[in-house]
Amino acid sequence: MEFLNFLLILWAAWLVWRRPERERLAFQLLVISCLLTALLFFVGARGSIVPGVNL
Amino acid sequence: MSALTEARLRAILAWVVIVLVGGPIAGAVLLGAVHGDSPCILCWGQRTSMVLIALVGLFVLRHGPRPRYLGMVVLLGVFGQYMALRHSGLHLARDIGQGFSAPILGAHTYSWSWFVHVTVLAVVGVLLLFLREVAATGAGREPKRVDRFAFAFFLVVVGANALQAFISTGPPPFMGQSDPVRLSLNPRHWVWSMEELTSPARISLRGSWTVPRPEVTAAAADPDPAHGPLANLPALAVTGWERIDAPLEGALRGFTRDSATGRYLAVTEGYGVYLLDSTRSRVLHRVVLDQGFSIDLAPLTGAAFLGGDTLAFVSTNKSWVLLRPDPAADAGEMWRRFRKTDGGVTELGRGRFATVRARQQYVLSLAFDPAAQELITVSVPSPRHRRLVVSRFARADRMLASEFPLRLPEGLALAGPERLLAEYVVTGAAVADGRLYAISAAYSTLLVVDLRDRALRAAYAVPGLRRPVGVAVRGSQLLIAQADGRIVTLGRPAP
Repeated sequence: MEFLNFLLILWAAWLVWRRPERERLAFQLLVISCLLTALLFFVGARGSIVPGVNL
Repeated sequence: MSALTEARLRAILAWVVIVLVGGPIAGAVLLGAVHGDSPCILCWGQRTSMVLIALVGLFVLRHGPRPRYLGMVVLLGVFGQYMALRHSGLHLARDIGQGFSAPILGAHTYSWSWFVHVTVLAVVGVLLLFLREVAATGAGREPKRVDRFAFAFFLVVVGANALQAFISTGPPPFMGQSDPVRLSLNPRHWVWSMEELTSPARISLRGSWTVPRPEVTAAAADPDPAHGPLANLPALAVTGWERIDAPLEGALRGFTRDSATGRYLAVTEGYGVYLLDSTRSRVLHRVVLDQGFSIDLAPLTGAAFLGGDTLAFVSTNKSWVLLRPDPAADAGEMWRRFRKTDGGVTELGRGRFATVRARQQYVLSLAFDPAAQELITVSVPSPRHRRLVVSRFARADRMLASEFPLRLPEGLALAGPERLLAEYVVTGAAVADGRLYAISAAYSTLLVVDLRDRALRAAYAVPGLRRPVGVAVRGSQLLIAQADGRIVTLGRPAP
């Protein structure tokens, strides 16, 4: 999934550089990538917002 | 103060992107290529966040500083810091130098991620502070030379990251791992897995780290000895009932007796500490501790006489307080430590016990072994830590002296293959003749531990108990105090 995420990022960067008129699509890809990053992080964190430390 | 023009902003921003991409993002790939370093699934999140921040920088280079770009970079900076702290939190409290992955300049990579995200937010703040107001434009700006370099550099470095991600994590639906193997170009060594999905990922504050409060565990425990994990236990006959006649405020939380003087100590909810005479009808001294001064003492749960006039108390989070009757107590100094006092008690100090095997486990008991001059606690098991650990602390410095988990001895059998000793919830303990007598609120069972052999020696059912909170030794008798102040007397089992 991390690989897919980097492909999304590369696609968005390419659009910004070479197809600036597709800014809306590029920004949507950016948002999707952010959400995917957060999702993968919480999967890796086993759903716990904080680890086993004292708050 | 000269304002930052949009042209200058773009020039600076292009270099910021180049530094961000060429520093931590390209450096991470180099660590993999040169040292075989592979990021774990949490590291991937932090690295991706930095890549996304650089991508937002490219958006600004091409389309100007639109509000949604600024909003996105602030969100990424905040979430990136959270990820770095969440990940570092797994390792920050470990022993010296311990952690995950290779350190850079003495700090592990997940720690550097926090620094990078803080720096990003600081740089954005400075740029916005000096930025002249600019009108948003719909059309893309023509990239300059440095901009084109930033774009190309970004694509190359992120392309290398994508390649590393393909090797380390595989194509979808495979994903990063908690313990990745080192990076190799040999496909035979590539590990593509979805093991992170095997554990249920229900989002909550602590997830699987959640440890329920021990008082709740003890109060909800089944008191029937017949339902306990040990089969066919002999019962100890109750020889009588007594009670604490002195007036106590609140339910009893801890109880003990001094074999030398016959005096008693009682601890109540609300941080009340009572030194009672040998008849338990007269209060010799009383203080109410300030549970918030210096150390969190919430809530007190056990007490012990340490010989002489020194009194020890412990809270469920393994914090301790030492007191001593003192007719010359400094009222001004003690005002800091006591919410109420009769003026005749001095606090000697307070601190925290640190355990190893019982880490992240609460306690509900405290005992003192005069032969070894050690304080003793017994951990309360939880769904995450299913073990019953006896921890011993040197009286002199209150540091951990030894620990051992209770094991099933020969001669005792579990009631079923799925049963565990860690189903017992020890809420009171006392030491006599080299034995630790520990009462469990769960299944009303008395556990007898040989402290020299570090082994459970025997267990006895004590039918009729309700919420036991403390154990005391009186000659050949055991006294088990309940939360309601009533005391069961039993014959002490022969060694």
